[in-house]
Parts: sequence; structure tokens; C-alpha cells
Amino acid sequence: MSVAMSLHQRRKRKNGVMMALCVIAAGIGLAWLALILGALIYKGVSGISPSVFTEMTPPPGDAGGLLNAIYGSIVMTVIGIVVGTPIGVLAGTYMAEYGRFSKLTTVVRFINDILLSAPSIIIGLFVYELMVRPMGHFSAIAGAVALSILVIPVVVRTTEDMLNLVPNALREAGTAIGAPRWVVIRSVAYRAALSGMVTGILLAIARISGETAPLLFTALNNQFWSSNLNAPMASLPVTIFQFALSPYEEWQQLAWTGALIITLTVLGLSVIARSLTGRREDR
Amino acid sequence: MLSTDLNTPDTIVEKAKIEVKNLNFYYGQSKALKDINLSLPERSVTAFIGPSGCGKSTLLRVLNRIYELYPKQTAEGQVLLDGKNILDRSQDLNLLRTKIGMVFQKPTPFPMSIYENIAFGVRLYEKISKAEMDNRVEQALKRAALWSEVKDKLNASGLSLSGGQQQRLCIARTVAVKPEVILLDEPASALDPLSTAKIEELIDELQADYTIVIVTHNMQQAARVSRQTAFMYLGELVEFDRTEKIFTSPREKRTQDYITGRFG
Amino acid sequence: MTAVSEAATSSAMRAREATVRRFALTDMVFRAATRASAILVLVLLGGVAISLIAGSWEALSKFGISFLTTESWNPVTENFGALAPIYGTIVTSTIAIVIAVPIGIGIAVFLTELCPRPLRRPIGIAVELLAGIPSIIYGIWGLFVFAPFLQTTIQPFVIWLFKGIPGLDSLFAGPPYGIGLLTSSLILAIMVLPFITSITKDVFDTVPAVLKESAYGIGCTTWEVTRRVTIPYTRVGIMGGVMLGLGRALGETMAVTFVIGNAHRISASLFAPGTTISATIANEFTEADGNLYASSLVSLGLILFIITFIILAIARYMLLRIDSRTGA
Repeated sequence: MSVAMSLHQRRKRKNGVMMALCVIAAGIGLAWLALILGALIYKGVSGISPSVFTEMTPPPGDAGGLLNAIYGSIVMTVIGIVVGTPIGVLAGTYMAEYGRFSKLTTVVRFINDILLSAPSIIIGLFVYELMVRPMGHFSAIAGAVALSILVIPVVVRTTEDMLNLVPNALREAGTAIGAPRWVVIRSVAYRAALSGMVTGILLAIARISGETAPLLFTALNNQFWSSNLNAPMASLPVTIFQFALSPYEEWQQLAWTGALIITLTVLGLSVIARSLTGRREDR
Repeated sequence: MLSTDLNTPDTIVEKAKIEVKNLNFYYGQSKALKDINLSLPERSVTAFIGPSGCGKSTLLRVLNRIYELYPKQTAEGQVLLDGKNILDRSQDLNLLRTKIGMVFQKPTPFPMSIYENIAFGVRLYEKISKAEMDNRVEQALKRAALWSEVKDKLNASGLSLSGGQQQRLCIARTVAVKPEVILLDEPASALDPLSTAKIEELIDELQADYTIVIVTHNMQQAARVSRQTAFMYLGELVEFDRTEKIFTSPREKRTQDYITGRFG
Repeated sequence: MTAVSEAATSSAMRAREATVRRFALTDMVFRAATRASAILVLVLLGGVAISLIAGSWEALSKFGISFLTTESWNPVTENFGALAPIYGTIVTSTIAIVIAVPIGIGIAVFLTELCPRPLRRPIGIAVELLAGIPSIIYGIWGLFVFAPFLQTTIQPFVIWLFKGIPGLDSLFAGPPYGIGLLTSSLILAIMVLPFITSITKDVFDTVPAVLKESAYGIGCTTWEVTRRVTIPYTRVGIMGGVMLGLGRALGETMAVTFVIGNAHRISASLFAPGTTISATIANEFTEADGNLYASSLVSLGLILFIITFIILAIARYMLLRIDSRTGA
């Protein structure tokens, strides 16, 4: 009897220890988040002022802002999304609709998932070879193309997943009324999957907003204001990279502020994306 | 294999809207329908009954060739609509489905407003003015006995309706494009008894203008709504006759066994 | 008014037939466009592979296989070897995984078994927020906050602790730079952690409730159910998630570049600076003069591509098997 009791107690104790470790693990995870966000807010906020949004990146030692970097990031992100999203949606549509049972779909899904997690610096190298070398110079358009290559796998994945969730009965109903395949896809399937697909696009935006590596040797950087797509363009991540590694205090402060801006944007987009899918689940 | 003559005086005026001749259907390699021969009279209700897996839904889905959405499903034989074989390669599928409409087991309103649900099908093939479209939508909803319940909320989403209302919306949608035949695949099996009764009333009214084929696993429903009934078993058409005859004095023993509940 | 007579007017019929032809044409075009886009995905990956091979041709044909085994990296004498970056990449990623996996699984267990219901969603969201933070943020945080902290507190302590113990004292030898291999590994671990957590949690959710209930029913503790039922059932999925995290860690650039120290050498100590493939490329590519230098960097990229491709392919294959088992 006492042997059985002590075995039971040992098991209970072990369980208690392991569960405590799990709680500690969760605590560690949350602690890191708090440490990082805390430092970011603390150091970034002190640099927030209107001049950040109105002045250009300064030469070393001077005060200035991040306007050209913010502008460049927005421009390249928008182009990246505009170029990458249609391709991603069309490819995802093929996989979920026309080619749902085909072998091509299986292969594309596999390759797409690899592209999704591929190191973004490799994509930067690819676009360098593809565009920067033949063109002879760095350019914003090359940076935007690199970003669009990062957008495509994200949008393909979410489009395919969301379209696959649309019940077949709905498609049959559209077909039964005499609608051709493309009308069924456009008016029934896309509409039914819309919030999920928009979420995918928001996630893609969040992803590329913070990417530095693919821009390093495509759009490079630009100390001055530029809206020329055919020339190097500043971007927030690359500017942060340059400023943070410098010995100048003003530059380092701008780096922190820029980091805060990016993080708030990315987290804000993620929250919006989540609330869209959350709403869909409730319905 | 089986006589499709309905040997009562009324049949002389009945014209066959759809004739099925030597129909075989395959899911991949396995044969799901075996040599079906059937003649469906126009402007009346025909019911397909039989136990699960007997092929009644499969047969229904051949009539509007909706199986073409899926690879590895093939049909051999002939299905004549007003004398023209719709299984022919040259038959345009979308055009076919404007003549033969279908309502499914689970109500499937499109993710659009009630008005749009109905206008959608009409707009595909007809260019009509807004006033005409409003009229079309109203007529279709009246036909489906739904107008009074939704006339004030035509812009509400189709999904905001109850199950029974959604199914009547699907029926309205189907009649709005003015088909000649309406196929119903267990239309009331997902609905409560009150909605089921409404649907059955609807079917009774609609047969004045449309040829209707209904698949149902509910024998009593078949007895209530249909004029002729086809009993199917394991992919074969066992017996086809006037509904009263099937349910009171069927010729085949298998039919008798099914009707009396010996198997189901 | 019968349905048949209305549609039978011949002009209506002709209009219908024109519409039908138009539909067929648009269907063909749309279908072709979607198919082309799907093929484009394949072309992209193929293009990446081809351009990497083409770009590294010069260096690889000059150095051959010794490229992989040479430690020196000298732009002046144009003698390049990938050993130091490869070593750094593998070591930092491995340590990151070793740290992140137990913690990640622990958090997943916490979220699925222990966490009180109302807290479940917020904490889950918090973990995903960690995943969404761009890597450059980890980089500057590492450089300005974490590394100095390690330099002033943890590293001197560890050096003192292991002094004199053979093996460990050279593994943790000073001086305490703050930056270095171990710091990079820790930052990578934090980056990979939310990844492993969310995939592990997802596969944990696929365990059928009846399986766990029957274990609880015979009196197992939560830990025993986790260890004997949940984890074995999801073993393949967890492995897939770990591989995915490893793939991410191997290719991570910005978080590592700030704190790795950028020294092309292999040291025994984990506190010493080193370099990884992606950090090398990020730091040196725009400065690389000379085709051999640039080609060597692209060769590094090719090596990274091959390593991550293999790891990611294995990961996807494993996760595929979980999907087919649950019939997803």
C-alpha cells in the first residue's frame, strides 16, 4: 500500500515539476516579448517628433528625419503588393479551382512552401543578377520586384487555403444556374473567401514591410529624396541598418524611432488581419 | 429491361420531356448506374426513391451533367431532352443548365443579397432593365412563396434567412432563369417539418409549368408529391410506374420489400 | 405563358448562343492565366537556383571543393573559403533550435493543457506577435540592449564559472565581447521560438480528444498524457515544425548580422565573434570589388540555398504526412 502511494506521489511530483516548467516557458516567451517591445518603445518614443515625418535623412552628426525612407518603403511595398498579389491570387485560384486534382498543383504547392520560407537574402541576390546587373545600377523597381517575389508565396498559400474552404455545394449551385467556371469563381468562390484572401494580403504587407535583406542590393539606399523608380531609393529597414551600425548618436536615435514605426505598422496590420478572420469564424 | 409504359388512359396525352436510354455511369472504374431506361413525362413530378447508395442522386446529377465538374466521372448512353441528346460532346453545358435547373440538399444561397441571388442567374444570359429585373425578382420570389417574407429586405444577405427560407430562395433563384426542368436533390431533408410542408406545397404548384424530378429518401414524401415514382436499387432501375401503383401494388418483390420497410 | 415558348424565340436563342461562345472564350483565357501564374511559381524557384549557380560559377570553378574547407577569407589575395561562414551558420542555428524547441513545446503544452481559457487567446496572440516582429528589430535590440547586458553580467559570470574546467573553459573563453556566436544563437532562438510554438500547438490540436480522454480516464497525469499520448501522436508534425524553424534560422540575416561580430574565423569559444553565410553576404556584397569576390559571395548564397532547400523539403514532407493522417 505504501509502495503504491509513493509511486503515485512521485508521479504527481514529476507532473508538478513538468507543468511548472511549462508555465516558466510561457513566462520566458512573454518576458522576451515584453523586453523587446519595452526597449523598442522606450528608445524609439523619445525620438518621435514631427521632424521625423517631415525631414530627410541627415548626414552624420546632423539632426533630421526619415521622410525619404518612409516614402521609399511605402512606394516599394505598394508596388510589391500590386505586382505580387494578382500573380499569387491567380496561381492560388488555379490550385484550388481548375487544377484541384492535378499533379501540377501538388508540385506547385510544395515549391511554393519552400519559396515561402526561403532566406530573403537569396531573393535579393536573385533580383540583383536578374535586374541590377543587366541594368547597370541599383533601382527602386528592383527592390519592389524583390518584395513582390516575397509576396507571391504568401498570397498563393492563403488564396488556395481560403478557396479550398469554400464548400463545393456552393460551386455546384453556381454551375447549376448556368454560370461558366470563371463566373462561378469570381462571383461565388472569391466572394465567399474574400475576408480570408484580404487577410492574406495584409499578412503579406506586414511581412515585406520589415524586410531588409532583399533591399540591400536591389534598391540600395538613398540619402536624399528620390521618387525615381529607376534609381536607388531609401527604405526604412535599410536606413535603420545603416544608422544603427554607425557611431553617430543622432543616427542611432533615428534608427530606434524607425524601428518603432515599422513595428507598430507590422503589428497593427497583423491585428487587423486577425480581426478579419476572427469575425469570419464567429459567423 | 423494364417497361416504361404507364398503362392507364391518362398516359396517352403525356409527352416525354426527358428520355433516358441505356445509361451507364462510372465513378472511375466502378459502375454506379447500370443500363437505365426511363421516360419522364413533362409537367409532372417524378420521384426517385431507393436506399442509400442506390444511385438515385447519381442519376439526377446526370440530367444536368453537373458531374462534369469532377474528373473520373463518366456517363455512357443517351439522355434526350425534347429529342436532343444532352450527353453529346457538342452540347454546351452552361446552356443546358439554363434549361435544367437544380436545387440541392443543403440550401446554398450565394454570398450576396437576396435580390442579387436571383438577379445573378438572370443577368448571365439576359440584358434587361432594372424595372424588368425588379419584376423578375418579385415574380420568382412569389413563385417560391417567399415574397411576403422578404419583400422589405431584398438587400439583406441571403445567408440571413432561416434554413427553410434559404431553400425557397434557392428555388426562386432556379425558377427565375425560366428553365424547363427542375431537379430537386432531397430538397427538404435538411429542413424542419413546417418548412418541408411549404416546399412540398411549392412543388405541387410548380408542376403546372415545369417538369420536376425529385430525389427523396422519404417514401411518404414521394407518395405525397409525385405522379410517378422510380425505385432504384444498387444502380439499377427496379421499377417505374404511377406512384399509387408503386406504393399499393408494386410488381417487383424488391420494391415491395423496400416499401414495407424490410430493408432501407 | 409557358417557360418553353418564351425562350424559343429565335433572336433570344441567337443572343444566348453568342453569350455562350463569349463565356467559353473567357473561361479559356482565365484558365490559361491561372495556370501560367502557377507555373510562374515554379519558374521563380528555378530562376533563383539557376542565377545562383551562374553567379557562383567563377568562384567554384576556381576553388573547387576546397571552397568548403578553407577557413581564410582574404579579399586582398583573393583567396576565399566558406568554412567560417558555414561553421557559424550551422552552430548558431543548431544552438538556437536546441534552446527554442523545449521552450516552444513547453509553451504549446501550456497553451493547450494548463492555460486558463480566457487567457488562452491573448497569450496565443502575444506569441504570434513575437513572430511578426521584423528581424531587424531583433538585430538592433540585440546590439544595443542584449549584447551589452550579456557583456557586463552573464558572460563574465560564465567565464568565471567554467574557469579551469577542461573543455568547458575553452568553450566559454573570454574576453566577453557581448556580441559573438552565442549571442547570435540566443537571438535566433527567440526568433524561432514563436514559430515552433505555433506549429506545435497546431499539431497538438489535431490529437483526437478521445485519445487524451482515455488516457486521463485511467488516471494519467497531464505530463504523462503529454509525454505518452500527445507527443508520440504528433511526433512527425513536431519534427516538421522543428525543421521549418531550423530552415528559418539558417537563412536569418538581419538579426544575426548585428551581433555576430563579422569575423571570418572559427574559434573554439562560443563567446568569440564569427560570421554566418547570410551575415557575410549582407555585410560585404555591396563592397565587393572584383568578380571573384562577388562570385564567392554568390557561392555562399548557393550553399545556403541548397542547405535550406533540403531542410525545408524534409520539413514540408513531414508536415504533409501529418495532413494525410488527419485527412485534412
